[in-house]
Amino acid sequence: MEDIDILASVVFQIGPVAITSTVITTWLLMAVLGLFAWITTRHLATQPGPLQTALEGVVASIEQAVAAVAPQQAQQLMPFIGTLWIFLVIANLSGLIPGVHSPTRDLSATAALAILVFLSVHWFGIRTQGLKRYLRHYLTPSPILLPFHLISEVTRTIALAVRLFGNIMSLEMTALLILLVAGFLAPVPILMLHIVEALVQAYIFGMLALIYVAGGLQSQQLRQKTKE
Amino acid sequence: MELNWSTFILEILNFLVLVWILKRFFYRPVLNVLARRRAGIEKILSDAKTLHHDAEALQAQYRGRLADWELERQQAREQLVREIEEERAQRLAALQSELEQEREKARVAEARRQSDAMHKAEETALIQAARFASRVLGQVACPELEEKLLGLVIDELPQLPAEQIAALRNNRGQIPETIVVASAFPLSDSQRQKLRKALIATTGTDLPLHFEQDVEILAGVRITIGPWVLGANLRDELRSFAEFAHDTRYS
Repeated sequence: MEDIDILASVVFQIGPVAITSTVITTWLLMAVLGLFAWITTRHLATQPGPLQTALEGVVASIEQAVAAVAPQQAQQLMPFIGTLWIFLVIANLSGLIPGVHSPTRDLSATAALAILVFLSVHWFGIRTQGLKRYLRHYLTPSPILLPFHLISEVTRTIALAVRLFGNIMSLEMTALLILLVAGFLAPVPILMLHIVEALVQAYIFGMLALIYVAGGLQSQQLRQKTKE
Repeated sequence: MELNWSTFILEILNFLVLVWILKRFFYRPVLNVLARRRAGIEKILSDAKTLHHDAEALQAQYRGRLADWELERQQAREQLVREIEEERAQRLAALQSELEQEREKARVAEARRQSDAMHKAEETALIQAARFASRVLGQVACPELEEKLLGLVIDELPQLPAEQIAALRNNRGQIPETIVVASAFPLSDSQRQKLRKALIATTGTDLPLHFEQDVEILAGVRITIGPWVLGANLRDELRSFAEFAHDTRYS
């Protein structure tokens, strides 16, 4: 597999830290996104042009989607969930560029994002409700369910990472195999499928992250309302 | 499918940095613009609501004012109708009064006309009676009657009112030199002497008498002393009768 360069390779090493192509691609994407954001938002006007209208549409859509699931914490969750969506769309689609591999075809990257989602669930839950009250939800409705809660936390995080990694990696591998077997332009239909799959996977990952975070917030709130 | 821990940690850091970058350079500016636009829209909506409320208040005010105007108009119309009725009643009363006055005037005029006609008829009757009496007396006039009338004058002269006798005597200077005595029939000398004595006794002076005959007086005498005329004849008596009737009418 390493021969066909489908997996991430170490480009250079800084001491014990190995800088892989995934990291470099991520840095490039971050630079492009940051530069694009900085350039396009320098002179925002009250009367928007076409580009500003598109940017406002993106932000408003993300805000509405987050508010639809967690209306009370929409302002807190929007940057994290919105960045997940934007980064995953760009990262998934970057595999279409010749010579560039999507960072999300690397399990290390998807696991990092999954861990961030895992941590953010607890971060937002503890921040909103406090540690004691947040941890209490693992004992509800019965302490017997505690192991299942813990297993669920681990498995859904692993599933989150592996789902995205498997889909993107398999798409790129399929396109590469078809290119090797059938030749130039043969994998174009697979690339079309890649576009759809990239958007769908980005949406699924972001939406699941949003639901996990919102679930951690609202389970305790529902209990409080029930008690009241 | 192995996990590279360097990549894993760097990806975590990368993503956190990306969150910060997008939050700082993308979400915040765009959300600020959206917030400003929402605030502007809210302000416009608020202004529109305020305008709407003001317009509704104005509408209610104008409706109230229109209702007041309508009420005032109705009251003014009722007042006008009342004034017209009062004016009409007053004018009808005035017209009725004027009509009554005109009727009274017409009635008085009619009564006066009837009275005038009656008096005229009476006067005409008197004139006719005087003419008839003149004609009758003219036929029965004779020296004897004249003598009787002369005797009546001679008897009556001393019995004239004292004022009249005093006036005859005081105004004597204005009397012509003679006293004219007209008679229908020639007077005898004795009659003339009796008359002279009576006149001297009345006037207090002996003026020459001028006797003349005037058949128009039918019978009797007419004594003219300057402006004074003493009639004791049928003609003057009849004329006096007619003038009395006339004077009685217009007195």
